[in-house]
Amino acid sequence: MKAPRVFQLTALALVLVSAVEVGWWLLDQHRFAVDKVREMHEVYAQEVGAAQALLDAGIPAARVHTLMPGVIVTNQHAALSPDVDRQLLAEERRHIAQYAWEGSFFIIALAACIAVIARALRAEARVIQEQESFLALVSHQFKTPLASLQLSLETMAMRPLSAEHSRALIERMLADLARMEGMVTQILESMRLDRGRIDLRREPVDLGGAVARVIAGFEERAAKDRIAVSAEIERGLEVMADPLALDVILRNLFENALAAVAPIGGGSITFIGRRLGGQIELAVRDSGVGFRPADGPRLFQKFSRLHPGGGGSHFGTGLGLYIVRRLMQLEGGQVSARSAGVGQGATLVLAWPAGVAHPDRAPDPTVSRGPLDPQTARREQS
Amino acid sequence: MTVPAESTRRILVVEDDPHLGAGVVENLRAEGYEVDFVTDGRKALDWLDGKPCGLVLLDVMLPEIDGFSVCRTLRERGDNTPVLFLTARGDPADRVRGLEAGGDDYLAKPFHLRELLLRVRAILRRWDWYQSASSAEGATLRFGGNEVDFRAFRARSWNGIAQELTEKEAMILKVLAERPGEIISREDLLERVWGYDVFPSTRTVDNFILRLRKRFERDPADPRHFLTVWGVGYRFMSEGET
Repeated sequence: MKAPRVFQLTALALVLVSAVEVGWWLLDQHRFAVDKVREMHEVYAQEVGAAQALLDAGIPAARVHTLMPGVIVTNQHAALSPDVDRQLLAEERRHIAQYAWEGSFFIIALAACIAVIARALRAEARVIQEQESFLALVSHQFKTPLASLQLSLETMAMRPLSAEHSRALIERMLADLARMEGMVTQILESMRLDRGRIDLRREPVDLGGAVARVIAGFEERAAKDRIAVSAEIERGLEVMADPLALDVILRNLFENALAAVAPIGGGSITFIGRRLGGQIELAVRDSGVGFRPADGPRLFQKFSRLHPGGGGSHFGTGLGLYIVRRLMQLEGGQVSARSAGVGQGATLVLAWPAGVAHPDRAPDPTVSRGPLDPQTARREQS
Repeated sequence: MTVPAESTRRILVVEDDPHLGAGVVENLRAEGYEVDFVTDGRKALDWLDGKPCGLVLLDVMLPEIDGFSVCRTLRERGDNTPVLFLTARGDPADRVRGLEAGGDDYLAKPFHLRELLLRVRAILRRWDWYQSASSAEGATLRFGGNEVDFRAFRARSWNGIAQELTEKEAMILKVLAERPGEIISREDLLERVWGYDVFPSTRTVDNFILRLRKRFERDPADPRHFLTVWGVGYRFMSEGET
């Protein structure tokens, strides 16, 4: 049985025992109050008896009443005052009501404490479970590049190789190291995002410029994988975002698109930025492997990898799109993905509320449909 | 499906990581094997549907169809091609899952190249032995009214019921039948049929013997052919112990 379940059952048992204890305590106090009132009645009965004896002995009724205020005298006959009777009854009820309120308060306070502790323990158990699962997944992600690295090294140690083959193995090892370094970076980024240890600036950023910079950074890799990259961004389109966070988002989206296109031997990736209704949208459309429509939401989960990596140069960590989603959430935007199915390509769409765009600049009615920058934005490789 | 014949030097590598796959393929080719390489489970099943091979090196976490499912599908098709799992999931539960899915051996990533080559050689050697032992005169075994066809992995038991043997059942039966009347230790059976350290204990052998008794003994509780030699191993009596 798992620890939180044991704790919940123990807490429930504790509340029940406490309720029984308080109930017994109430009954005991009720019995005690009733006994006390009966004893008081007996004392008063003795007092009435004594008063009657005094009356019979010829003591004046006024004198007897002064001596015993709880006794009234009517026609030389002593009796207990109805006020005293009422007072005793009221006292009994007051005591019982007091204990009932106090008991209820204790029960509620106890239940509240248990609820708070149970909640904290559950949260802690969840965190521990997530950490364990995260660690297991991370170590699993590292094993494949490690295995590749080890295999390359042992191949070099075990076999006489040509200079060309050795060079190819060294390049492969460097690529394995680079992907492990990339994984470490992504893991650290995702952990910082999870812990909220990220302070985002908000300033107007030119979307076209940001896309062009990212495309330029992947120029060589896209060429190697025979992927044509183009951008169609409305002129003057700005989003309110942190420039560094936007760069991370665009890089991850681009890497995802490259990973989807490379395994099928090349294709195209197109960035389309426009103002649409109340939003600013940036779509990244690729002609890659696509995915089953039902798998769309899974794309943005940690360590989710839907792309087959074989045949290309993709080594995903399964964290890139998770980072994109978290950063877009922090930026106040959204990200979604759609595909007509496996082999049909995919489109990932970033959307920011239009209201956050630079207020001084109206959208340019003359829409540029051409490439953003002939030098960097459009790369045609064959 | 029968024992892969001339194809025992051909190996299919199923691995979605291009670098690791390429490294394994290069090394196997350097050892003289014919090697084909596919990157997902569906392609592996398609490939195996048309071509015979001597061994499949199978990653577990594959796109499309995972390695365990690929192996299960192969076995359901009646394909007994040996499968060596190569995977990052190296904990005991996963090893057991892999072997239950019909795998022959299991190597956790990262692995040593020499160990990989050793295991590949060991599996193929076992198959070579099985093939040669199942050729011509050794293809059929008759005992106690049972008849076993080692090439087809099929049998007909004493009561006329047709039996489909798994690769391991057939191999154990073959090892026992090679030396009728002799005591064969559990360790020897493990070594001959599985290799050295695939299973943590020799109880696995006991379970397979129980399965053979259920298939071929008239009274599995009082066996006449598959006899236990307490503390040592097993003895096969083709005529039946009286």
